[in-house]
Amino acid sequence: MDRTNCNDKSPDEAVRRPNRLRDRIHSLKNSIRCFIHEARTARGGARVDFLGRLGLFIPAVVSIGIIILVLTFLWYESTPILTSPEGGPGIIFETTWDPNRDMYGIAVFIAGSFMCTFLAIGIAVPLGIGAAIFLSEFCPHTLQSVIRTIVEMMAAIPSIVYGLWAYVVLVPFIKYEFAPAVQSNPLTAWMPWFGGSSNGLGLLAGGVILAIMLLPTVVAVSDDALRSVPKSYREASLALGATTSETARSVVLSAAIPGIGAAVILSLGRAVGETMAVLMVTGNSLQIAYSLFDPVYVMTSIITNQLGYAYTFDLWRSALFAVALVLMLMSILFTGAAKLIVKWGMKTRGME
Amino acid sequence: MAKGTTIEVKNLNTWFGRKHILKDISCYFEDNCVTGVMGPSGCGKSTWLRTINRLNDTVGSFRMTGEIFIEGKDIYAPTADVYSLRRRVGMVFQRPNPFPMSIKDNITFGPKLHGINDGDELDEIVETTLKKAALWDEVKDNLEQPGTTLSGGQQQRLCIARALSVDPPVLLMDEPVSSLDPLSASKIEDLIVELKKDYTIILVTHNVQQAFRVSDRAAFLYLGELVEFDKTAKIAEAPSDPRTEAFITGRIG
Ligand SMILES: Nc1ncnc2c1ncn2[C@@H]1O[C@H](COP(=O)(O)OP(=O)(O)OP(=O)(O)O)[C@@H](O)[C@H]1O
Ligand SMILES: [Mg+2]
Repeated sequence: MDRTNCNDKSPDEAVRRPNRLRDRIHSLKNSIRCFIHEARTARGGARVDFLGRLGLFIPAVVSIGIIILVLTFLWYESTPILTSPEGGPGIIFETTWDPNRDMYGIAVFIAGSFMCTFLAIGIAVPLGIGAAIFLSEFCPHTLQSVIRTIVEMMAAIPSIVYGLWAYVVLVPFIKYEFAPAVQSNPLTAWMPWFGGSSNGLGLLAGGVILAIMLLPTVVAVSDDALRSVPKSYREASLALGATTSETARSVVLSAAIPGIGAAVILSLGRAVGETMAVLMVTGNSLQIAYSLFDPVYVMTSIITNQLGYAYTFDLWRSALFAVALVLMLMSILFTGAAKLIVKWGMKTRGME
Repeated sequence: MAKGTTIEVKNLNTWFGRKHILKDISCYFEDNCVTGVMGPSGCGKSTWLRTINRLNDTVGSFRMTGEIFIEGKDIYAPTADVYSLRRRVGMVFQRPNPFPMSIKDNITFGPKLHGINDGDELDEIVETTLKKAALWDEVKDNLEQPGTTLSGGQQQRLCIARALSVDPPVLLMDEPVSSLDPLSASKIEDLIVELKKDYTIILVTHNVQQAFRVSDRAAFLYLGELVEFDKTAKIAEAPSDPRTEAFITGRIG
């Protein structure tokens, strides 16, 4: 066994060779071989070091294992619907959900979750980044720590409390103030997204309450990202004659974008999986929303609402598990996509 | 083309909180020459430099008395415009600090800030300033590469180019070579000598030999006091203060 082979940490040539998959497999095999080799030969300090690394390696493996287990479990539970003639993978495009007639289209919930999530993100991300910029660049020092504490406290409020607040304040506000106002104003009345009658419960209420819940995460993580931008960048910009706001916009924000991307990842994952508050204010009606005032039914709500009734019906129950599977895949997809964006951002800035 | 300007400092005192840093400094920087500022670590060299482009204003605990005139105008006058001042007083920092953007964006940052948006004009600025900073040949094919991926010496030359991009008559350099290898350092020293044709340069260093090599005039700062300020040749041969002599012979510092 060639020991130097095991210390090779820069497989640069490997990347340049044409068949990357084969190289990956090859290097994976090689590292397993080296691992076993090291386990057998390491002595003294090297052994301690090896065991330490092993100790750190185990949690990583375990967490990957848990994800795989959960996916397998969801897959297993949703096989009845995915393999039956009434269902099949096509249910993600079907819009009729009617357990009495054994129709289990889940597109309504997917659409509902998507709309709610993106509405929330669309509100929370710009607001949160703006607040974070204010906090880290313009806010007087004494106020800074107060605001940071409040933001942390906001993150700790249980979601049911947000839901209750939305139910008694936000929903009536949309019903009696906001909807009549935009629908009677000729400037906004023609807009299709303000169409339809509103009883307050619906997409807008869900998106807004979700946005309020995401805000603290977005602010806190973006604020961290902005604060960790080195002072030397700011000084270089100021020394060229930039004002504080020009510096914040062109230098600090640009350098913090990868970190802010992380904030968006976190909030996407949380938004799509959020249950309680959304369930209370979205109206939960089996239709696809065409206006902000239309009710929506999100994936987490259908599971929560119907699992109790569905439990003894094989197909119904497994359709709910299929919803959970889609939910899980969606959040994995979001996380993956956002990670790629962050990676790309870091690369174009030379910050790897 | 920029022409250097004169800088006059009158009875400058500065404090950080209660700590008295610079003590009653008065002096006159001639145009188009390199003034080397020497002194042991912590004596206030950076602080001094940063009063000249008012960068200390960003430090909450900073306080000062006295006056600084550039081209006869008091830069701390209530009516003075700090942004146009900083545009005319370029600064190169102790550690290379290119922005995390492409090389080109690093250079065009300043000009864009000051309203130059024409693509050709910006390209020309990129080329001329990188040539001035002796970096053009090394990077001309990779202008889109992030500035932060260059070597330390290249990064520092990029920062010099960035400072030159807004064509400031005054250039403040805070130990620009202290974190670099000897070869990069000597390249930058040559560059400084080259640049003084067009700029008034104040070069902070605690390397005596370097100050002697590149500067026309030299200042020696000790514990916040301006101990000596004279022609470099004069200080090298016969310093008038025993503390200066002790510093240049390596007994204090
Ligand atoms: N932002 C600040 N807040 C408080 N004190 C400061 C600040 N910046 C500098 N000082 C103090 O001012 C004094 C002079 O610092 P300065 O950076 O000017 O030294 P220097 O001569 O440049 O030293 P060096 O050669 O190590 O760079 C030091 O005692 C330092 O502690
Ligand atoms: Mg210094």
